[in-house]
Amino acid sequence: MTETTEFTDAVTHTPGATIDDQIDARFKRVRRRRVPKFGVLFGATFLIVLLFLTVFADWLPFIRNADTKVRVNGKLMSNYKLGPGWDAWWGTDGNGFDVFARCIYYARYTLWIGISSTAIGLFVGGALGMLAGYFRGKTDRVISVLIDCLLAIPALVLAIMVVRRLDDIKLDFTFLGWMSRLWQIILTLSILAIAPLARIVRAQTMALREREFVLAGRSLGAGNMRILFKEILPNLIPAMVTVAATGLGILIAAEGALAFLGLGLETSWGFMINANRNRLEKAWWATIFPCIMLFLTVLSFNLIGDRLARRFDVREAAV
Amino acid sequence: MAGTGKAHLRNSPDVLLRVEDLTVEFPVGRTGLKVNAVSGISLDVLRGETLGLVGESGCGKSTTGRAIMQLRRPEGGSVVFEGNELTNMSLADMREARTRMQMIFQDPISSLNPRRKVRDIVMEPLTIWKRGSNAERATKVDSLLSEVGIDPDRAAESQPHQFSGGQCQRISIARSLVLDPTLIICDEPVSALDVSVQAQVLNLLEDLKAKHGLTLIFIAHDLAVVKNISDRIAVMYLGKICEVAPSDGLYQQPAHHYTKVLLDSIPVPDPEVAIHKVAIEGEPPSPVLPPAGCRFNPRCPAADDRCRSEEPQLREIGVGHFVACHHPLVGGDAPVSVRSATSA
Amino acid sequence: MSIGSTTNITQAALRDVPGPLLELTDVRTHFRTPRGLVRAVDGVSFTLERGRSLGIVGESGSGKTILSRSIMGLLPTKGTERSGSIRFAGTEVGNKSRKEMRHIWGKEMAMIFQDPMTSLNPLMRIGDQIAEPLRLHLGMSKADAAATARRLLQDVRIPEPDRRLAQYPHEMSGGMRQRVMIAIAMACGPTALFADEPTTALDVTVQAQILDLLGEQRRERNMSLVLVTHDLGVVAGHTDEIAVMYGGKLVEKAPTKRLFAAMKMPYTEGLLASIPKLEDRSHSRLNVIPGRPPDLVNPPKGCRFAPRCPYASARCNEEEPPLTATQDDPDHSYACWYPVGSPEYHEARARINASAGVN
Repeated sequence: MTETTEFTDAVTHTPGATIDDQIDARFKRVRRRRVPKFGVLFGATFLIVLLFLTVFADWLPFIRNADTKVRVNGKLMSNYKLGPGWDAWWGTDGNGFDVFARCIYYARYTLWIGISSTAIGLFVGGALGMLAGYFRGKTDRVISVLIDCLLAIPALVLAIMVVRRLDDIKLDFTFLGWMSRLWQIILTLSILAIAPLARIVRAQTMALREREFVLAGRSLGAGNMRILFKEILPNLIPAMVTVAATGLGILIAAEGALAFLGLGLETSWGFMINANRNRLEKAWWATIFPCIMLFLTVLSFNLIGDRLARRFDVREAAV
Repeated sequence: MAGTGKAHLRNSPDVLLRVEDLTVEFPVGRTGLKVNAVSGISLDVLRGETLGLVGESGCGKSTTGRAIMQLRRPEGGSVVFEGNELTNMSLADMREARTRMQMIFQDPISSLNPRRKVRDIVMEPLTIWKRGSNAERATKVDSLLSEVGIDPDRAAESQPHQFSGGQCQRISIARSLVLDPTLIICDEPVSALDVSVQAQVLNLLEDLKAKHGLTLIFIAHDLAVVKNISDRIAVMYLGKICEVAPSDGLYQQPAHHYTKVLLDSIPVPDPEVAIHKVAIEGEPPSPVLPPAGCRFNPRCPAADDRCRSEEPQLREIGVGHFVACHHPLVGGDAPVSVRSATSA
Repeated sequence: MSIGSTTNITQAALRDVPGPLLELTDVRTHFRTPRGLVRAVDGVSFTLERGRSLGIVGESGSGKTILSRSIMGLLPTKGTERSGSIRFAGTEVGNKSRKEMRHIWGKEMAMIFQDPMTSLNPLMRIGDQIAEPLRLHLGMSKADAAATARRLLQDVRIPEPDRRLAQYPHEMSGGMRQRVMIAIAMACGPTALFADEPTTALDVTVQAQILDLLGEQRRERNMSLVLVTHDLGVVAGHTDEIAVMYGGKLVEKAPTKRLFAAMKMPYTEGLLASIPKLEDRSHSRLNVIPGRPPDLVNPPKGCRFAPRCPYASARCNEEEPPLTATQDDPDHSYACWYPVGSPEYHEARARINASAGVN
């Protein structure tokens, strides 16, 4: 009889577990609750402002249309006539376009390319990594060879293949017609993203697979798919989000590089840098401002990625 | 310490689980060598009985538990549970059979998915097997949670890390009971807990066993704990069984030298009791290249040439008391029939 | 190494200071958390003589680990509030910074933990890990340090020391790793060794070996040993004195034999009763302490153990009992209004037995 009272007793004063737990929790919480470091705060603010400006650019009065040439008193401001100033904040370029407006408008493409190629990479790479890490054996060997092959592809050669050759191929295979230059770049970058993401997910899955809660799931009669999606996937998400943030930065930088080499979109920061770099001494603004935008965007994603990595490490260690 | 032999197996209609010549081996990288984790052990458990499996880490006791559950398919031997042979069952049948036998693991926190709510974790088995309506599932889960001493409302909104180790073990126990199994394999369920919590969990297991009519296999390295909860104990060393006996008999008259060492190693909570200078040095040898003959011979004080060449078989030295030793501490050389007659 | 020579002097000086080795006065360690102040250690005072061994016993959450880390100065500074005085060989160490403590760690106080794997560097050979503090603290030459490392491994009874010196931690068993930890702790000849649950992760046979080894090292080196554990059985045969902690407070302290012969705190009694005894028949019910340790943010008023104490009465819930010495033995003190053996205790017991009988 005393037993039942004992066990209900056990739960009456519970908030938080023992002190050791409380103290562990405290360290976790202290780290989590502390005012975010300047870095993340900066990164997040920058990205939110950029996102806002680029999405609502059409309605914001202070942003010109990217394809409207700047005229002051009816005169076309082409040939880098305007430097940074009130009429065009970041000056004009060779054709008289507003550099600030273009930087903001082109952020759409940059962010879209970054996000969609990361998403595709994460989806395919994540699936491959999970299958390889969970089933091991033959599946693992096949997928690992595939990953190694992907890693061995030189990025530039792949880009030239996809962007240049696909333009030709599209002439013969009309069903590929939807593949605009934008999608060709996304395809290139996704392929590049798959391998590293798959590797990380594979390693994490292998570690999780050995955990006792997975074993417990199996002993309850859960099938493989259920274990993969219900037990393992939720535990992979922190790692995936972390890698995705850093990966986004890398892919955006890569997109800039492709555009700089003339393999990207013409509506891209990289393209702007490339088009104006010959006039760097005379009209620095047309080159430097897109450079700064690219730099700050990549930096922001990296700062957020670093922060996430640190935060989730704490959590993982606690688990 | 061989433990090859089945003299201790019982021929009773009440046998719930019968394991014969179970062998589990792990390859060592690509060297062609293998870890002889479990080398042909035989066990049986009667309905309603608690069998204790005791031994040092690396003796294969946990592997045995997992091999019985077929979580790791054994390399050889047979496992008959409720009259069905498990080792050659198809995967689908095996999944079904596993609902009748459940496992509780050592690390209470690691055995619960850190990213799910505790109540969902306990409900998971019912969801997998689509048992009952939502309301029935909820009632069942809540009543089990209260039974193990966890507040169901708190469980509904909390994740495992918000509970202490002892509470997590209670949650694991609740989860293992949800499908109404007949056999529960407890793999070191209290080794990670404080003595005070350990006592609570041991009492809880006894209560649940009585209430739900369970049969238990209790795996642990601490003989005092195993003795408290078990009816019968099998002592394992390097993948073999060295002694099988009723709990009280094992303590009163350990026959195997290794059992004696295990008993002497338990710290006695009484400063007036002189500490036994531990009679055994070092640690078990590698199960990759186990010693020939009796596997305990390199550490055994009584080992002779026979022990180094000939593997002892399990033989009866008392009622229900079996030992695999050439020179046991009790029941030396007299024929079994004589002694069982006198002791009975 | 100039630091080596100066610290050698301070070391020698510390050894010769008369008086107790460790003197704690009203030590408090509180942690600021979003939920409030966690009073992990809440006013602990005791002294430990040189060469003696002390067991600090309690459940997890009793503050025993935090206390030993407070003495060692191993707690994070952020969010931690510390007060009271901790004197080590006559020197106040409670307010020393981590940087200052570094001169004391290893040479004066050493610590071993429950999980040796996390305290050993997985990428460094065992030999180098033992030699490092020797070269750092004592300024030994490479060859001397290597020779000393070998001798230390022999001291802790590791067979084939030469082979082991070249191994990495993952190549060893848990028991071997704990021996290596002890060897590292012994390297600079500390005056006090803190062992925090050193055998909890080990098999019983290995536990017995490690406990024997600790006792032997202590006697040979005339070192003080503080053994932190949740298991009264572990300290029974291996310590001179026992301090029982509950809810951040010291609730009973006595010489080991005296404690087991005449324990006063119902909590101590409960801890002892929780241990399964070999001589009891199997399936004999264990007498558990019901419930769980108190919430240290809002500890219960009065005696902190009262909510779980089978003998508690109204007074226990209202007034906090002070730590007082027993009449017949000044070394035995306890904090309880109705200690084991008092008339009220017997009365309460009779009441419990009667109600159990009715059921």
